[in-house]
Amino acid sequence: MNALRTLVAASALCAAAPGIAWSTDWELSADMRLVDSDGQRSLFDGGFGALQYDREHDGVQIGRLRAAITQPLGDVWALKVDASYFGQDDQHPLGVTEAYLEYRPYPIDGWRTRVRIGAYYPPVSLEDTASGWSSPYTLSNSALNSWLGEEVRAIGVEGQLEWLGTRTGHDFDLGMTGAIFGWNEPAGTVVGTGGFSLSDFQTSIPQGYVGGRGAAAFPEQPIFHEIDGHEGFYLGADARYLDRVTLLALHYDDRANPTAVDLAGNEAWDTHFNSAGVKVDAGGGWTAIIQWLAGTTAVVYSGDAYSYPFHARFALISREWGRNTVSARYDVFGIESNAEDDLGAEDGHAWTVAYIFDQSLRWRFALEWMHVTSDSAARVVLLDEPGYARENQTQLSVRYTIGSGR
Amino acid sequence: MLRISAGIFGFMMLCPALPVLAGTISVQAMLANHEPFAGAVITVRGETSHAPVAPISAILDQINLTFVPDIIVIPVGSTVEFPNSDSVSHQIYSFSPTKRFQLPLYHGKPYPPVHFDEAGVVTLGCNIHDRMVGYIVVTDAAYFGRTDARGIWSATNVPRGTYHVSLWHPLLRDSAASLDREVSVTGDESATATVQLAQALRPAPLPATARSRDAY
Repeated sequence: MNALRTLVAASALCAAAPGIAWSTDWELSADMRLVDSDGQRSLFDGGFGALQYDREHDGVQIGRLRAAITQPLGDVWALKVDASYFGQDDQHPLGVTEAYLEYRPYPIDGWRTRVRIGAYYPPVSLEDTASGWSSPYTLSNSALNSWLGEEVRAIGVEGQLEWLGTRTGHDFDLGMTGAIFGWNEPAGTVVGTGGFSLSDFQTSIPQGYVGGRGAAAFPEQPIFHEIDGHEGFYLGADARYLDRVTLLALHYDDRANPTAVDLAGNEAWDTHFNSAGVKVDAGGGWTAIIQWLAGTTAVVYSGDAYSYPFHARFALISREWGRNTVSARYDVFGIESNAEDDLGAEDGHAWTVAYIFDQSLRWRFALEWMHVTSDSAARVVLLDEPGYARENQTQLSVRYTIGSGR
Repeated sequence: MLRISAGIFGFMMLCPALPVLAGTISVQAMLANHEPFAGAVITVRGETSHAPVAPISAILDQINLTFVPDIIVIPVGSTVEFPNSDSVSHQIYSFSPTKRFQLPLYHGKPYPPVHFDEAGVVTLGCNIHDRMVGYIVVTDAAYFGRTDARGIWSATNVPRGTYHVSLWHPLLRDSAASLDREVSVTGDESATATVQLAQALRPAPLPATARSRDAY
């Protein structure tokens, strides 16, 4: 862990070197929402609603204010920083969602390596392929990718090796990725105690919280934190057929000691999961995605071991024509619990339909409707409310972006 | 400096000497479904050696994260300039044996043209935007160009003789050898070669859209 800490710190110093003359790519955007919701108290207010906005927090809302910069440092190094303010987080005026140094040398004979050092998303999401790790299909992420945005970020070193077969007369590209990371041991807290939700929220680094408004239904614990000194790792593989089909698989394990607690009382959650997905761009603007994730998170609390196997999957179909994109997605998610009162257990599914109009490179308008049905033991045990809930949310979004490429 | 857009060269040909008797070579390219094959690269070589075709200065631009045009055909010895009309940076590369090079193209910072002194196909990519792909066909043929929307390419003032016609396209699944044809120019009449693909082309790259321009 000391070596990892030194490497990340040295990279940050290198990236801060002054006097760089290469041109900078940057973006600033503001996304405002008009929301109608009948949802229960949301995750962000310490409740167990599955929506981003609950009935107490609809109306005009700040969706996301974002600043991003890519600063080349020579031909093959670049510093990338993405920072955002999300309306759900009133503790962090502007939080960094990703910040890393990237080494991306030119390919040699069809082979290319890439190294990322810093804080970044593991290559899991087939959905969040737009700028700022957002979805080009809907406003809200699937339950699967919402959870990644809330709790998962690798802070460490990632290496990737790609074979660019399509550039050498073949129909396929292949890639393998591996990473060693730290500072993500509380990952599992939210899914284990709060359950799944569907949002475009991303927890900020380094001391981001989910549930930032201070309610106490589940513990406020910094998500990106090192507790037991054990590095985590992930290994992934991807294959692409031309630019039409992408297959992605990843195994993630934070290798945390579930009995470890730091002096501040923050607990390490032993979290591991597998994910796989396929994305098909069929031509004519049609895209289909199916993605699956399943894992377990475990913690020892007051001498009792708690284990929460969880799963999330979704299917999405989208059609883009001209400046218009219409998408529909179906989500299924669930958590099991070994607690006597079943606390932490949840089952749910969601329908999402969205229309996006890219008026220009600067203006984007979007309308999304979402319906979530879920059954959560925590609502019964902790809030004395019915466990079963049907929630609806409609969002109208206006986003304005400026930047070097706009 | 003389700048000639590569698109102009669709029908370009240069004759080493004015022949006494000269004809026309016409090539009709057809897809497997018998539709016209537009944009195929045609090269024509004679059995006897010919004077080298004069090199040109071509431009291959980057517009909306796309190489424009997607394919150019140039004689050996030509140069190509990569101006980058996009407002974002590109890192153009080729690892093709014909010509290996790397160009960091930052907006508003022109880079010297690249010289292509060996015949072959050069596949271009961008190290930042993986979806970008382009091709430079460097040829030592006497006559060359790309088929039009009707799948037709032709050369005039071709001296008498036997010629070897080749067809190439990045999306071809047919073997190149199976598409070679021979034609004879015997007088001032037209010699025609028909090239019919046996297999469908690979799917064309998806066009750049608002979604692809907003990539993570």
